[in-house]
Amino acid sequence: MPDPGSYILLGAVLFAIGLVGFLARRNLIVMFLSTEIMFQGVVLNVIAFGRLHGKMTGDVYGLFLLVIAAVEAGLALGLIVLLYRRKHTLDAETWSAMSG
Amino acid sequence: MNSAIPYIVYALFALGGAAVYLAMPKPSGSQRRAALVLGMGAVAGLMVLLGTQFVAPNSNNFFFYLFASIAVLAAGRVVTHPIPTYSAVYFALVILSVAVLLVIQRAEFLAVALIIIYAGAILVTYAFVIMLAQQSGAASADVQAREPLTAILVAFVITGAIAGRIEQLDSIPINPTSHRVAQNESSEIDTAGQLGLDVEKEHTRGIGALMFGPYVIVVELSGILLLIAMVGAIAISRKRVPIDDTGEPRIPIGQIGREAPPF
Repeated sequence: MPDPGSYILLGAVLFAIGLVGFLARRNLIVMFLSTEIMFQGVVLNVIAFGRLHGKMTGDVYGLFLLVIAAVEAGLALGLIVLLYRRKHTLDAETWSAMSG
Repeated sequence: MNSAIPYIVYALFALGGAAVYLAMPKPSGSQRRAALVLGMGAVAGLMVLLGTQFVAPNSNNFFFYLFASIAVLAAGRVVTHPIPTYSAVYFALVILSVAVLLVIQRAEFLAVALIIIYAGAILVTYAFVIMLAQQSGAASADVQAREPLTAILVAFVITGAIAGRIEQLDSIPINPTSHRVAQNESSEIDTAGQLGLDVEKEHTRGIGALMFGPYVIVVELSGILLLIAMVGAIAISRKRVPIDDTGEPRIPIGQIGREAPPF
C-alpha cells in the first residue's frame, strides 16, 4: 500500500483538474461534473489521513462526503433544469448579468 | 528526501496543465494528439516519482499506479470533452478507478457505497438532465472554453502549494495501522480501537461501530439534510401549471409532459 503522500498528491491533482473544469467550462452540466471530480480528490485524501492515524474516522467522513455530494447533485440538477427552462441554453455565460 | 523533488513535481504539473490547455475545446479545434502525449507523459512522470520517492521498496503497488493514472487521465477528459454525454461516461471511469483506489486502502465499504451512489444514482440523474436539456448540434458553450489559461494557473498554484509541503510528509509513518492509536490520542472517538477491531480486517464493522456510536447524531442530521434537499429540488424544478379565470388548470394535471412540453 502506497503511503499517504501518494494519496495526498493524487487527491490534489484530481481536485485541480476539477477546479480547471469548473472555472473554464461554460456548460452547466460539465461544471457540476467537475465539482464531483473535486469531491473524489477530497474523499481520497480523507481516507488516506484516516489510514495515517490508524482510525476508522476517515471512512465515516468519506461516507458523509458522499451524502453531501448526493445533496449537491440533486439541488444542482434541479437548478440546471430551472435555468434551462428560463433561457433554453446550458451556457453559464447567459447568466452573467450581475458580473458588471 | 531530495530537495529537488518539489521542483520536479512543479514541472510535471506544468506539463499536465499544458496538456489540459491543449485539450480544451476551441472553435479552431483542439490539438488532441499533442495533449494526449503531454498528459500521458505528465502522469507517467508523476507515477514514477511516487513510486521512487514515497513507497517503501519491494512493495507491490502496481494497481495503485495503474488506476491512479486511469483516474487522472479520465478526469482530464471529463473537463475537456466538448460533448457532455461523453464527459459523464468518462466520469464513470473516474468513479470506478477511485473505487479501486479505495479498495487498495482497505476501504471496501466506502468503495461499494461510492459505486452505488455515484455510478448508480448521481450519474443516472446527470444522464437524465443531459437528455432533457440537450440542444441539437454543438452549442457555442461547448466549443469555446472560458479563460482556460487563468483557470489552469489557479489550479497550478493550489496544487503547487500542496506539493511544496509534500516533503514534510517524509517523517510520517507509512504503516496503515499506525501506532498512534496506542498513544494517548485514544479519545472516545476511537471506538474501533476500543472494540479491539483490526482496521484492516474488520473495516465494515468498524464503520458501523463509529456511525452508530459517536457519530449517530451526524447520521440523523444527514438524513434530515437529504430530506431538505429533496424538498428543495422538487420545489425548484416543478412545472408551473397555467391557471385560467375559472381557477381550473388549462391543461389537465395528468397531461403535463404529454400535450405540454416538459420544459
